Amino acid sequence: MANGDATAARLWLWARKARATDWDARFAEELPRVYNFFRYRVGPGVVAEDLTGITFEKAWGARERYREDRAGFETWLFAVARNVAVDHFRRAKVSVPLEDVADLPGGPTPEEIAERKSDEARLGALLARRSERERELLALKYGAELTNRDIARMTGLSESNVGTILHRSVEALRDDWNRESHDG
Amino acid sequence: MDDRMLHEHRREPDPQFARDLRERLRRSERRRRFPRPVLRAVAVACSLGVVVALFAIPSVRVSAQALLDLFRVRRFAAVKFDESRLQALESIEKEKGFLVFDHEEMIREPGPPRSVPNAQAATGEAGFAVGSPSYLPDSLTVDSVLVQGAGAMRFSVSEAKLRSVLDRLDVKGVTVPSGLDGHWVEVKKPPIVIQRFQSSNRRAVLLQALSPEVSVPAGWNIEQLAEIGLRILGLDPSEAKRIARTTDWRTTLLVPVPLNATTFRVVTVRGNSGLMIITTGDGPPPAPGKPKRKGVMVMWSEGDRVFCLRGDLSAEDLLQMANSVSP
Repeated sequence: MANGDATAARLWLWARKARATDWDARFAEELPRVYNFFRYRVGPGVVAEDLTGITFEKAWGARERYREDRAGFETWLFAVARNVAVDHFRRAKVSVPLEDVADLPGGPTPEEIAERKSDEARLGALLARRSERERELLALKYGAELTNRDIARMTGLSESNVGTILHRSVEALRDDWNRESHDG
Repeated sequence: MDDRMLHEHRREPDPQFARDLRERLRRSERRRRFPRPVLRAVAVACSLGVVVALFAIPSVRVSAQALLDLFRVRRFAAVKFDESRLQALESIEKEKGFLVFDHEEMIREPGPPRSVPNAQAATGEAGFAVGSPSYLPDSLTVDSVLVQGAGAMRFSVSEAKLRSVLDRLDVKGVTVPSGLDGHWVEVKKPPIVIQRFQSSNRRAVLLQALSPEVSVPAGWNIEQLAEIGLRILGLDPSEAKRIARTTDWRTTLLVPVPLNATTFRVVTVRGNSGLMIITTGDGPPPAPGKPKRKGVMVMWSEGDRVFCLRGDLSAEDLLQMANSVSP
């Protein structure tokens, strides 16, 4: 039909069953996952927030199509996030290192903060050494908290391949971590 | 270093950042990309082929062995209508569930649109050569390309519901043919490619697809059913009869355009006849807190494909953009 989205949306009864969706709740649920995806991809701070904002603004226009399809919305959201990350690296050709971490959230003691800050900086530096693909998978797994199956569907890799890459990446991170601990 | 530590590396977003972003999104939720009355009208048009097709099955010609009549969109025509009628139809639909159908059956779920990298990738997904505009005014650039898969659905007809709708709308002088009950109308929606373009202050969306198909039992009295459909849309009896007789319903998609604040004209797009709908924003005041809507939409068909381009551009720019669309 000429007006394709109208057709898709309405063709009389196609999507008429749409129920009211609590977009505030959906936003609250997805924001930390997208934000942390970018923290693992580009590091914390303003850049991660900027890219998170861009992702939501791009994805939000299509939200009505996913009223009843939570999984579809999630897939769509992270497809946009991945594209935003690619655009960012293409433009900037640099990433903000995790070691540039600023203040941590309150709660822990000053000693704990110092330790966590140190750990976070170390982890950030180690993540930055991983390949683009490894870092993206790590970001999807530990930042966005997606399952290996979801990651496989999004990236076009097989589920076992995702598992293998993640396993090796974590192993490599652990080795680097232990080596630095001994050296330090 | 282990899984736990990697998970614990996650942090909650800054609350102020979260609040600011949510507010920005709320503002965008209040903005609509195209005037709602026109979208709703075109949505009705999209379904009109189904709806009007239900109104006149001559019972003597309907049989289980009947072949199917097929409807495909090849051209577009506009008809003005009072938007209050659309609201009345929506109210009935909301109340009754279906306007004139008893049952629906999803034959093939189209699924949500999938993002693809570019038009070339969309060609592979959609199964036809996707056209893209070479002219992009106002610094527009490609924002995203989406493909929604094919879908198919069918509906069974209820004479009682149709009579009820006619009664509710106080439509006189039409008779609901008998023999409608239990017959199915099938709608096949081919894959749709959606290309979005955006600049700092302008947006446009190009949609293209092979024509959808509406199939109904053979033997429809097309003119009669179209006349009833037009009466339901609110046209007076003589105008409904005239349009019903002069339109090729098997190939024409009728686009109802609201009387207020909307104009339309026939345009030529790449040598094909098309329809341009312009919403001026000069209509009745919108609901409190909502801005006036403006926008332009062009629909045309070329070969076996149908296109719709809409955006908040000038009519001239949108038409030039439409004319530059080529695979």
